[in-house]
Amino acid sequence: MEELETPQIITHIEHNINHSIFDCKWIPCSAKFVVIGSLPKGSGTLEVFEITSGEIRKIKEIERPNSFKCGTFGASSDVERRLATGDFKGTLEIWDLEKSCQVYITKEHTDIINSIDGLGGNIVNCGAPEIVTGSRDGTVKVWDPRQRGKPVANMQPMKGETKRDCWAVSFGNSFNDSERIVVAGYDNGDLKMFDLRTMSLRWECNLKNGVCSTEFDRKDIPMNKLVATTLEGKFHVFDVRTQNPTKGFAQVLDNASKSGTIWVARHVPQNRDIFLTCAGNGQVSLWKYEYPEHRYVVDNQGVSSGVPGKLRRLQRMVISTQPINALDWNRDHLGLAVATAYDQYVRILVTTKLNLQ
Amino acid sequence: MEKAFEIQKQVRDNAKALQTYMTDLQNWEAEMKRKEAALNGEFEQDLPPVRSKVKKERPVVVKKKPEKKIKGSDYSSWDKYDVDKACEEVDMQDIGPSSLDSKKSHLAKLEKLREEAQYEKERGNTFVKQEKWDDAISCYNRAIELVRDDAIYYANRGLCFLKKDSLHLAESDCSEAIRLDPTYVKAYQRRATARERLGSLRAASHDLNEVLKLEPHNNSARKQLDAIKARMGTKGAKSKSSPSSTPTVESKPLTKPSQPKIVELPTESKLVSADDQWRNGTGESVMVIKPVKKPPHLRSKRPLKSIPIQEIQLGKTTPEKPPTRLKIIEIDEQTQTHGDSNNNDSNKIADAPKNTKGEGDVASPESVKLVTDGVVKEKDAKTLVPPTNSVQFMSEWKYLKGQWDARCEYLSIIEPSKIPSIFANALESDVLSDVLRILHDNTPRFAGRVAAYLAQLSNVKRFSALAMFLSPSDKEMLTKLLDHCKAVENTNEDVIADLKNKYEL
Repeated sequence: MEELETPQIITHIEHNINHSIFDCKWIPCSAKFVVIGSLPKGSGTLEVFEITSGEIRKIKEIERPNSFKCGTFGASSDVERRLATGDFKGTLEIWDLEKSCQVYITKEHTDIINSIDGLGGNIVNCGAPEIVTGSRDGTVKVWDPRQRGKPVANMQPMKGETKRDCWAVSFGNSFNDSERIVVAGYDNGDLKMFDLRTMSLRWECNLKNGVCSTEFDRKDIPMNKLVATTLEGKFHVFDVRTQNPTKGFAQVLDNASKSGTIWVARHVPQNRDIFLTCAGNGQVSLWKYEYPEHRYVVDNQGVSSGVPGKLRRLQRMVISTQPINALDWNRDHLGLAVATAYDQYVRILVTTKLNLQ
Repeated sequence: MEKAFEIQKQVRDNAKALQTYMTDLQNWEAEMKRKEAALNGEFEQDLPPVRSKVKKERPVVVKKKPEKKIKGSDYSSWDKYDVDKACEEVDMQDIGPSSLDSKKSHLAKLEKLREEAQYEKERGNTFVKQEKWDDAISCYNRAIELVRDDAIYYANRGLCFLKKDSLHLAESDCSEAIRLDPTYVKAYQRRATARERLGSLRAASHDLNEVLKLEPHNNSARKQLDAIKARMGTKGAKSKSSPSSTPTVESKPLTKPSQPKIVELPTESKLVSADDQWRNGTGESVMVIKPVKKPPHLRSKRPLKSIPIQEIQLGKTTPEKPPTRLKIIEIDEQTQTHGDSNNNDSNKIADAPKNTKGEGDVASPESVKLVTDGVVKEKDAKTLVPPTNSVQFMSEWKYLKGQWDARCEYLSIIEPSKIPSIFANALESDVLSDVLRILHDNTPRFAGRVAAYLAQLSNVKRFSALAMFLSPSDKEMLTKLLDHCKAVENTNEDVIADLKNKYEL
């Protein structure tokens, strides 16, 4: 028996694409989205689709010799709307989709770029436009589209340390022009938090399983919550407001659902406490983080430590037979999301009653 | 039962929620498309600097080494002190090195000012249409403040003043506009109107004449001019006598038009004549050669000829010697065209004393040769050196082209035994025939050596090929030479036979 205000997740449109797809992103300020994928012959594609009254219409297709893996509009203004992509060979490109041309291209990574995130393009007073890329070569690089060729920051293992495959990167804590944090998740379960202001490693821990996806609930506020999803159906939610010098951050772990790898977790742009996880069995789950009464406690030595909240599952729905590897909420319309899965379908998901939460 | 109701309600609610959501979505789609269309524009944002450059971009304070102060008592240092340089440095500091960047920004600033002024002008124009003269004038004032060199703003303000009957101001504005743009018809017309109403009819008619000069079919100007002329006709005497009409304004236009009438032609012509005098060389003992201007189709089509330059010692520029340049050219032509026919003649005359010289003889080649040979001889006797290789020989040979005597001289100083080594394999058939001719013509000078020359020539590499190209006349000369050898030099019969064989006679 469902409650009255329980959100529903509905697959609004399903569209088959006859090749592998890895990522999808809404084009800001439009009813269009980009699907990033690769053709069987190994070339990469960028396809622009538009939704018009229940239909998906392809507007544009760009093909390149190397498969694309990931993309972001985060470092671009809403007017320019330039897509930054990472490909299988380690090339970072920035695309002007209107003109179908690259405006920036650099190959500093030696292997596939697994993950990309951008920030600073359209929000004022939250720092420079920057792109962060995580690659199999073990490095995490931060780029500024205004600086050609070379990254503005490079995080790599020390000499002698084994290089781990970086699977996930994301920005956060960028509440003014100088503060900014990059979180990187690795295949061995390492989760590292780099402070770009001090250029240092702020915190790290091991989640035991490879980290598939990380995301702050908001990028442009003092960091609040961080979600990291892993293999074997687990995900961690950290309260990153309060850092204890010894214990680190308080966290909630959900490992109840036996849904396989959780590929991605994405917060609803309009409500930072609700997020959707996409699992390897094709299931999407909508979660709500419920804060505890007090978010931190101060012990007798005057050191504060965070208090974890609770996770409540609002809804779940199997929408695909194959893992859902990417999802993007629309920034402009509550409850609208696009998802790609390994069954080569791109889906427009609609979630109702989110405003009631 | 209640539960069933609830479920039913739930389903209905959900369906309704979804439906409203979908309509929302469609509206949103439409709105998004509209918004997106409006998005196309420049986006400027004040961005923080690139991360890695943050430190670098701090203003670099160039610490200048404080210049040593020279003590008042240190006289030797003060003696060395370059005052001019120091002054220059101080000046430069004030100006600062003008970089391209600042120039660019300056241009951009100007562009912006211009835009703003244009905007003010537009506003002023609308005020003019509404006949709000004062507002329009203030707009034009601002425009002029922003951009001082645009005639339009002045002319428009002039119009406003005219409408407000501020005739003097109108006139001065129009004058300014005309100064900035002397072809600005409207400014002339407005000034004419202003002047007409000020009473200075002549100046007004002058302005109108200018208008008609620029626009001959300007009807309104013509009408105005006619009206003014009519007024002048009736009023002319009156206005002169009456001091009421503003004298200052009257006098100004009176002098103004008279100014351009002072034509500076006389002074110019004087200058020119002085120049001409100098150009023509009058008063100097110089013959001036004037450039000849011919249209291309009338110009000579003969190719230019290379002229050997002779060194003549400084003191030796004897005026009685005719300009040899011309002569040499003529000889070239002669030798080229006439070939061998006049060789004998020239030879004969070469020995004769110089009896002819001067310009008149150009036509006769013999006399010319005589002269030039004479000239060259003087020098050749001193300078000729036996060559050591074919290059030296050929350069000298070419230099002596046409001077058979000199060539003969040159040939005679060459040791016959060295001929094969000099020429190696570079003997050419025309050179060979020349040599043969010289030997033939000047047999006495090579007394006793002709056979040796012939023998050595035949020893030059690849001679057999050269022998094949000998002309009949050459062969004739050869037989004569061999006869000479047999008769005079008592050359061995075998040798002669051998030579005959080699020369393919």
